[in-house]
Parts: sequence; structure tokens; C-alpha cells
Amino acid sequence: MAQDAVDLPSDYQFWMRKLSLWGQASTLETQQDTCRHLPQFQDFLRQMYEALKEMDSCTVIERFPTIGQLLAKTCWNPFILAYDESQKILIWCLCCLINKEPQNSGESKLNSWTRGLLSHILSSFRFDMKEVGLFTQCLGYAPADYYPGLLKNMVLSLVSELRENHLNGFNTQRRMAPERIRSLSQVCIPLVTLPDFKPLVEALLTCHGCELQEMLWPEFFEAVNEAFLLKKISLSKSAVICLWLRHLPSLEKAMLHLFEKLISSERNFMRSIECFMKDSLLPEAACHPAIFRMVDEMFRSALLETDGAPEVLATIQVFTWCFADALEKQNTQLKFTLKTYFPYASPSLVMVLLQHPKDIPQGLWHQPLTHISEMLREQVEDQTHGSSRGPFESWFVFVHFGGWADIAAEQLLMSEAEPPEALLWLLAFSYSPRDGSQERAQTMAEGKAVLSRLLKLPRSPTLSARDVHAAAGEQGGDPRLASCSWLIRHLTLNFLLWAPGGHAIAREVIALVSLPFSSILVLFHIPPKGPASEERVPGCCPDRGGWAARWTAGTDPRACPVAHLPVTEEKEGSVKGSLLPEPIVKARSPVSSCTLLPVQYTTVFFLMKRNKT
Amino acid sequence: MDSLLQYLERFSEVLAVSRSTHVSRWDPATVRRALEWARYLRHIHRRFGRHVSIRTALERRLQNQWRQVGGSGPASVPGLTNFRALERCDLLLSQRLLENPALGDAALHSLLQQLFPGPGVPDAEEETLQGSLALLARSRSAVHMLRLNGYGENSVLPEDSVIKTQAELLLQRVQEASRAEAEGPSRFLSSLGERLPHNNFLQVIATALLLPSSSPQPPKEELELGSPKTPGEASQELVSWLLRKPDIMATFCRHLPAGLLTSVAGRHPDLFQVYLGLLTNWGRHLHYDLQNGVWVGADSQDVPWEELYGRFQSLCRAPSPLKDEVLSALESCKAQDGDFQVPGLSIWTDLLLALGSGA
Repeated sequence: MAQDAVDLPSDYQFWMRKLSLWGQASTLETQQDTCRHLPQFQDFLRQMYEALKEMDSCTVIERFPTIGQLLAKTCWNPFILAYDESQKILIWCLCCLINKEPQNSGESKLNSWTRGLLSHILSSFRFDMKEVGLFTQCLGYAPADYYPGLLKNMVLSLVSELRENHLNGFNTQRRMAPERIRSLSQVCIPLVTLPDFKPLVEALLTCHGCELQEMLWPEFFEAVNEAFLLKKISLSKSAVICLWLRHLPSLEKAMLHLFEKLISSERNFMRSIECFMKDSLLPEAACHPAIFRMVDEMFRSALLETDGAPEVLATIQVFTWCFADALEKQNTQLKFTLKTYFPYASPSLVMVLLQHPKDIPQGLWHQPLTHISEMLREQVEDQTHGSSRGPFESWFVFVHFGGWADIAAEQLLMSEAEPPEALLWLLAFSYSPRDGSQERAQTMAEGKAVLSRLLKLPRSPTLSARDVHAAAGEQGGDPRLASCSWLIRHLTLNFLLWAPGGHAIAREVIALVSLPFSSILVLFHIPPKGPASEERVPGCCPDRGGWAARWTAGTDPRACPVAHLPVTEEKEGSVKGSLLPEPIVKARSPVSSCTLLPVQYTTVFFLMKRNKT
Repeated sequence: MDSLLQYLERFSEVLAVSRSTHVSRWDPATVRRALEWARYLRHIHRRFGRHVSIRTALERRLQNQWRQVGGSGPASVPGLTNFRALERCDLLLSQRLLENPALGDAALHSLLQQLFPGPGVPDAEEETLQGSLALLARSRSAVHMLRLNGYGENSVLPEDSVIKTQAELLLQRVQEASRAEAEGPSRFLSSLGERLPHNNFLQVIATALLLPSSSPQPPKEELELGSPKTPGEASQELVSWLLRKPDIMATFCRHLPAGLLTSVAGRHPDLFQVYLGLLTNWGRHLHYDLQNGVWVGADSQDVPWEELYGRFQSLCRAPSPLKDEVLSALESCKAQDGDFQVPGLSIWTDLLLALGSGA
């Protein structure tokens, strides 16, 4: 409040100048400028009201001698009156000027001036609408009765004109001029949240015309997107898709909004991520390949920026589930080939990955797993062919369907027979895509040893946390590779999940081996007790001076995103044991032209959250 | 029930007074009491919206009252006109008071405090009223902005929207009148016809006759499901009224554009028959001017050939039943005249020839 009082006079002068410039917002330029300032002006009005309500009308005039002018100018700008709650706050401000018992002619004059303004807001703009007036008066209706109907009909008439426009295509005779459509989109900016305007907003979004250049104002897209994200309006799915296709920053904002929601929610179990995801409409919109590719590109950036944060991995996985669901629901026949969604993966691999494990009998799970493993291995190890885009792309496709890694671990723990090589390889790969074949062989051998020790543990409620920890621990020799530790944690968790008595000691074991957040996700039905379960894993936390800093420092990364990706040599040693496959980040998709700014914010949010825990 | 009706009457008087200079004698307490009454009546609307018998009784009383006041001329100030108005009577009252310069400063101050209590009001009723007043201001601005910016250079109100809105309101009122008055909306429509500009009135009626039956009812009127008449029946009331008023019907068919009349004829077979009868009648008034080789009227009142032809042509472009009936009517007229095949002897032969070549 004290701060407001200090800022108010300078703001006051600024807005007074602006309002004088805008006038009645009758030219395109003044409208544009008004639209750009609507939210800030509303804030100013609110501050003004907070200040005014504390004073009596005489003090108001003493402190703000030109307040009448300021408010009058506001009253005559229809864009301000139409915006959100501005008209209400303006009325509150005017009410503060009314003097209950005016003592002199000056005060009486102010009263009647203010009354004039109030009456203007509440019942004017009827200037040359006499044609409506006489009729409705004869029928015995008040303006309150006919304005809503008139507005609805005006909107519908414009909507049908726009639809006709859309259908007529090149018939220039009956087309709505692009300038008119553009100006209409401007008018809608303050009004997008008015329920009566929904049909017009949707018609504008879905009406393309045949101009190559975008007809609608970017501010219109921003206003619609904002209202949609904040749930102030609901839009049809097709309208949302058009919005995101026509205005890329809106799609980025939607992604960012999703990330923010995930970050600010208390605990992110897979199920709650799924709720946020479905609610965002992104998976459904992603059925359009262009949107999928852009969303995927943003996920890729988030993954790179966060050094493969488990939270991001989980989010990608949930996104892919929901996307696959939406694709299935949309129609039985795919409109686009899988190659349009996953251009760098072999279609047969994607086909297998896309299968829902639940659709396959449990006894046959090893078949797709083996198949997946073999195909990935072939791609990863066969570097001689020019067609391969390197292990990172293969890994990136695989993490979309991370559920298969869990199934592989479960399969390994369910059978006492010799563990299949393919399954061990798949698990090792999912944690260490950048390893060479020698390192991976070492990881696999270690995994196999731990597996056999775990399987030898008594399958009874007498199972003790210490035994499990010992079985999972190092048995002398060289220290483990980071990827190997991850693999073993994954196996241990799955063991706890399936072994009788495993749940009872889970918390204890987790405390002993300090498991990271993502692995906890696997155990989402075990209620957590304290913060111990969210302990940080060193290998998983990116160094703040590293990639993120390089993203924001120096030249604008938006100019050429790939040029700013970190280089392998520099990375060596700086983030030891990182999950991420550094040598492979050269991989680049053609859609990388999108601005990456929001993703950087995302990174910062993730870092903040992780440092907090 | 009696006390409720009396209450209604009293409040109607309050509403009427709210536009007069008498409010200069109102003090803050009077304003408060008037708003409390209005709130109570809104409560009545909510409570008895579904209750057909109470509703009808209230509606009848309001209609009678309105007829007494409203019949006295176009400048008369409506009080409460129908049951639906109860829902917004607080809005109506506050708007009238705000616009009335006779209201004293102290009373106005109290009115504003009640209408706009500011943010974070605990009272839901007050918040609703504040919200609806703000929403109304917002909608007005929206209309204004669309009018100035949405329609290109000429920035005039799109006539179709205005007429459509008027037609919707008219149907609503017809519906209420036919529910409340024994003789239906006839008297009300006739007085409306006298007070409004002719063309506007007829155009609104034609548009009302074309509205889809669900259109005039806003969704929130679900409360009124129990009402005895549906909007479809309201437009039927309009049709019967027109049929009972041959003069108005003739003007209707003479002055409205051909396309609009064809659409109306397509929707209402009874009106179509009258229209067709009028057209053939008008045709009989024309005679052939041998010198110029054209069909002309005997006096200036007669419908010129071009217009007659235009109306028939428009009907013949309509979907099948309409077109067939028109052609067979023309054929039978032609047969009555002697079934000539050469032009210039019977207007029907010539019309059929013209329509045949024009089609």
C-alpha cells in the first residue's frame, strides 16, 4: 500500500498522457496501443481505487485535482470498458467521487458530472440506436433485455459471414476483406472472455483465408491463449489446434504452463501428471504432426537443459501414453504415418513400442521386449550406415515409451532362469545410452550379478532392509559406473515392489540407497512419509554453471539453437555421471526453428525446485 | 396470493415512479426499501418459475396492468410488464434510478453503496447485481465496438441483427400475451402496428415468422418448461393474426421484398395461399398496352408487371411444393382466360412464358 502510494503519482501522469493519446480509440493505432496496455491499466485502476476508497471526495480532489478528467477519458474508451473487470473498477472509482452532502456549488457540480459518467457507462452507447429503442420501448422491454440478444445476433451474423468466407475461398466478390478480419480480431482482444464472443473467437481461429501472411493480430492469439490456459474460456479442440498451429508462442506458452503446473504441484505421481497432461489438451492437439513435432522438440530441449531430469523423463512418458490414447480414439485409421511423428526412428520399432503392454498376455511380454532390444541394439551398434542418427535419437524415442524398461526389469525379477541378454541390454541402454559396448558389457555383468543375489534372498516377510542393501551393494573391485548404479537401483526398486514383504521395508531401503525422485514414481502406491525419499542424487543434478548458463549467456540462442548445444569435449568431467548422452546431442531436428525461450524458463524452474528439495 | 398480487402492483408503481421527478423526495431509507422489494420479487421469480398456476396468475395481472399503462401512447413508461421481468426487476429499478437526475445526492450515495459495494462482497445477492450491471456495461461496449469496427467502412448496425433481435423480442411478447389474455395477442399486436413505423413492423413480423422455433428462448428459460405455449405456437399466433387482418396482410405482401416473402410462404402454407391469392388478384388488374406491348395497371395503386413477375419468379425458384403450386395456379388462371398460347392476350400466358424463358 505504501509502495502504491509512492508510485501512484508518476503512474498517474503516464496513464493520463496515454488516455489523452488514445481518445476514443477510434484509429487502428490507438486501438492497438490500448489493447497492449489493458492489463496494466486495469492494475492501475485497481490501485487507484484502493487509494480513493480511503479518502472522502474532498480529499480525493485535493490529492488528484484532475481525477475527473482521468476517469472521464477512461469512460469514453470502449476498449477499456470492454476489458475484463475494468468497467467495474472504474465504477467503484467513480462512486468514491460522489459526495453525500455537497456543501457548495463546486461539490454539487462534481456530483452531477460523476453521475453523468456513471450513467454513460451503465446505459449509454445507445447514440444512434433509436431504431432499436423505439421498438423495444413499445414492447415494454428495458435495455437490459435487448442488449444481450443484440450482441448475440451481431456475433452470429459475423460468424456466418466468416464461415461463408472460409467456404468461398477464392471467390473474391463475397469474401470478407483481410483488413476487416484483422480489425475484427483486434476488437475481440478485450472481449475474448465474454461468453457471447466464443463463437466469433472460434470462427476467427478456424478461418484461414488464402493470404500467406497471418491476418489476425498476434495480441489476439495471446489473449485467447491466456484466457484458455487460465480456464476463463473453453474452446473446441479444433479451435485450440488452429491457435497453436497459427501462433507458435502460444504453443510454447501452453507447454510452459504445463511445466509450471507440474512444478508447483506438491507431489507428482504418474497419475497426477496424467491429469495435468490430459487437462492441457496437448496430447490431443499433438495428433496433428506439426504440433507433435514442436512439443517433442520442446521436450527434447527440456531434457537437454535439465541433464535428463527424471521429472522430464516421466512427463515425456506420460505425454506419449496420452498421445497414443488420443491417436487411437481419434480414428481407427491413422491419418498420418508414424514416420511423420517419429522421423528418426524406424517405423517397425515405433509400432512395437506403441503397443500397450496390457494388450499382450503377460506370458508373452518377453517377445516385444526382445524385439525392441534387438532393433535398438542394431541401430546403436551399427554406426556404419549413414542413415542412423546416432544413439541419442534411438534413446530419445525409447524414453517416450519408458514403461517398457519397467517391464523389462519386472521380467528379469520374475524368472529364476538365466536372465536374457536382450533384456539386460535394454535396461543398461536406457540408463547409459552414451556408453561404449565395453562399458555397457560391464554394466550388464554387474546388473546380472546383483540380480542373481537379489533372487537368492528369502522370499518371505522376514526379508530385511540390510540384506537387500547388501545384495544391491558393490562387491569389491572397481567403483561402479553411474549408469550401473541407476540400473541397480531400478532393479532393487522393482524387487521391493514384487517381493513379499518388500513394501514393508521399502522406505528403509530407499533411505539406505538414497533413491532419486523418478524411481519413487514406480512406487507411487506406497505413501511417502518424509522428505528422505526425495533426496537428490548427485549424478542427476546439473551444474548451474554448465549448460543452463551457456544457454542464456552469449549470443541469442534463438538465432541458431543447435549452435548453442553443448559440445562433448567441454562437458567431460564437468557433470560426472550425468544421465545424458553428451556425444549425441548434435542430433537435430528440422523443427528446431522454434524459439526456445520458454524452455529455458522451464529449466530454471526445475533447477529451483530441485535445489529446494 | 392476494397479498402477492398487491405487492406486485405496488412495486410496479415504484418502478413507474423511479423514472419520475417524485424520486427527489426519496431518502436513503426509501432507496434501500425499494431495492429490498426488488430482491424479494426476484426471489419470487426463482421460487414460482415452475409453478404454472401462480405464474399464470401473476402474468395475467402484469399484462392487464401493462395494457392499461402501455396503451396510452408510445411515450408511456413501462412498469413491470411480464413475469420474466421479475428476474431483472432490481436491475431495472437501479438503472432507472441511476439515470434519474431528480434523485437527491444522499439517496444516490446510498444507492451506489448498495449497488457497488466493491470487491470481496460476502453477500451473493449484491455481488450478482453488481456483476450484472458490470456485464451489461461490458456488453454495451462490445456492441458499440463491433458496430464501429466489425462492419468495415460504413460502420452501421447490421440490419439483420437488429431486426432479428426485435423479432425475438416480439415473439417473446406474443407468447406472453397469448398466455395471459383470453383473446390472445391480437389487441397488443394491433396497437403495436399503429405505433411503429410500418415497414419496420412488417419486416420484424416476417423475420419472426422465419425464426427457428428454438431461437427466441435463451437457454436459461428452462425454468419455463412448464409454460403452456411454445415459441412455435407464438409464430402461429402471428400467422392467425395476419390472417384475420386482410389489410395488414395485403400491405405485408405488397411492401416486403420478394425473397423474404417467398421464405415466409415456404414456412407457412396458410400465408402462402393468401399471398398467391393476392398475386393473382393483382394480376387481374393489369391490362395489355397494345401500343407499347406491355402489361400496365389502370391506376398508380396497381402492382406493376415487373414486380408481379419478380414475385412469381422468386416463388418459382423455391423448392418443389411451392413452385409446383404456383405454376399450377398460373396454369388454371390461364385456362380460365381461354388457354391462349400467343402473348398479349392473357397475363397468365405471358407470365408463364416469361417464367419459362427466365427459368
